[in-house]
Amino acid sequence: MAFTQRLHEAFKGAVERMTSHRTVSAFKEKGVLTPDEFILAGDNLVSKCPTWSWEAGDPNKRRPYFPANKQYLITRNVPCLRRAASIEEEYEAVGGEVLLDDEDDGGWLATHGALCGNKGEEDNLPSMDTTETPDRQEIRIINAYAGGNEEDVIPDMADFEEADNIVETDAATLQPPYLVANEPDDDNILRTRTYDISITYDKYYQTPRVWLTGYNEARMLLRPELVLQDVSQDHAHKTVTIEDHPHLAGKHASVHPCRHSAVMKKIIDVLMSRGVEPEVDKYLFLFLKFVASVIPTIEYDYTMDFDLGGSHH
Amino acid sequence: MSSFKGNDGPETSSGRDEGEATLKFATWQSAVDEGFWHRLASLKLDTLQLAEHPIPVTGFFAPCSHPQVSSHVQLLLESLDNGQSRNNPADLLGNRNRVPISGMLYNTNTLEGFYSLDKQLLLKNTAQQIWHDIQSGRAAEDSRLLNRFLMISHADLKSWNFFYWFAFPAIKLPIPATSAPPKIASEVFDGNEGAGVLSACNHWRSVTPTMTHPFFLLHISVSGLVQAKPLSEWESVKLEGGKVIAAFYDPCHLPNNPGWPLRNLLAFAAIYWHVHTLQVICYRERRGQADLKQCIVFDVIIPQLPDWSDMSNVPEAIGWELNAFRKVGPRSVNLSSSMDPYKLASAAA
Repeated sequence: MAFTQRLHEAFKGAVERMTSHRTVSAFKEKGVLTPDEFILAGDNLVSKCPTWSWEAGDPNKRRPYFPANKQYLITRNVPCLRRAASIEEEYEAVGGEVLLDDEDDGGWLATHGALCGNKGEEDNLPSMDTTETPDRQEIRIINAYAGGNEEDVIPDMADFEEADNIVETDAATLQPPYLVANEPDDDNILRTRTYDISITYDKYYQTPRVWLTGYNEARMLLRPELVLQDVSQDHAHKTVTIEDHPHLAGKHASVHPCRHSAVMKKIIDVLMSRGVEPEVDKYLFLFLKFVASVIPTIEYDYTMDFDLGGSHH
Repeated sequence: MSSFKGNDGPETSSGRDEGEATLKFATWQSAVDEGFWHRLASLKLDTLQLAEHPIPVTGFFAPCSHPQVSSHVQLLLESLDNGQSRNNPADLLGNRNRVPISGMLYNTNTLEGFYSLDKQLLLKNTAQQIWHDIQSGRAAEDSRLLNRFLMISHADLKSWNFFYWFAFPAIKLPIPATSAPPKIASEVFDGNEGAGVLSACNHWRSVTPTMTHPFFLLHISVSGLVQAKPLSEWESVKLEGGKVIAAFYDPCHLPNNPGWPLRNLLAFAAIYWHVHTLQVICYRERRGQADLKQCIVFDVIIPQLPDWSDMSNVPEAIGWELNAFRKVGPRSVNLSSSMDPYKLASAAA
């Protein structure tokens, strides 16, 4: 972790401890949320997309301004059928991605710029259509155990296999035991990575914050560095960093929230300019829609097939 | 009744054969979250120390909710709570994405101890427990008892290597059950019946306490009313007439195979209900909602069993999970980067 990043984390922590949380809504003016609004938006997400749920988390890490059983949101076992990095090669082949002007747009990428055509002011407002699922592509197994290097993995495994005599022959067990999106031939075993995606509330930035916990094709914890393969490559190491999760153990990849309010403000402004009055309980749907441009191949659920705002037009 | 084993072609395409074939079950998968290892390490240092007694542990799962990915049994920080922490158990209730599955953890002090555990015996004992719960009717009252797991582990707190191995014990029928290829539930139940099945399932999945009971019955009455009922109401719904379908939360996503939990349900049906045919719906979801296009229906034929009322006649069991290399063996994870105080200190310097 860069020194400046740690310094900033320390500063942010100190500010969070000393200041009280936001109590006045500034959702439309600044794109930020109060803790109460976060709960409201989270309740709406959980009721519309039941794969998401509230979690209590570690009691020692509880935030006092949230109910004990509503500390953060999580959706588990979300498939990621291919690496974001490999998709980008394809985009480059058809003209590359469009990096939007850093000043105005917070450096967010129009991930599908080259494919979806142009352009203009609203381009950083993520499309409200369901993101098309990319064609599946074979991914080879990566022996990605959390932490450690290859050499310190499973020292005595060979002995163990010799020593053990478990033989379970059974006509009713399906082989192979776990599957397999597209089984390519022979040993190049294709498996699907999965993610647990959590959303916490960042008191300093007053916005939600997304965290990624990856599992490899055999459901073994993925080292956070390998998670970056599933992040749009222009965000990896920049807007996506590896940090301590506020409620879970260990280091996890996270989309840094420093630009979230600016992007949300922009999305809200575009909606309002179209005559749609955004409602604060829809915040997380809009938010997850834009997060999809950072993690384009992780197929989490943020479907919103209802009116975005309260007004009709 | 003799079973007819399909030829040795690819298992997933056994559906091509229109006849009866051995029903093949996709195994459970385990996934362990980092929080679990942190909690185990502190439990070992602060409480267990050198004690090696088995520890109750809770895994969590949800029915399959994606057509390309099976769901798995996940171990989290809360898995080792044992009611000792400040986490109010009520906080965990009402979370439909956390269907509990109870397990037993055998954590050994040494790697040698881990090697020398009698794994066959541990598996057999757990299966015996399931078998007793079926015989005694406890499983009819609480269907969660049909899903159990056991885990052996060795936590090396010097190198921060954790060795572990899961087993999901299933009672093995002496002659495997057979079935014709499954049908998609939306084709079996159409129109009003389909709508009834959907709403009965969604209701079961959304209210406390039924949402955490992974096995249930769907009763379609003579007048076409569909209701989800606990397993214990088998006799009474049978008397009412109509159709009865056994349902279970299926972690498996495959179009032609049921998941592992069906094995113990079939054992239950054979031992407790004494049935030889059973219609089963593998309950699956899409985006967290019941989806009959994902659910599959089997008409299962259960062969004649030996007399299991004799308690000494305990059936065989299987269920040790294969490792990441799909071999018989344990898994390991190294967490020194997040747990080793020296590494943490040097990373912070």
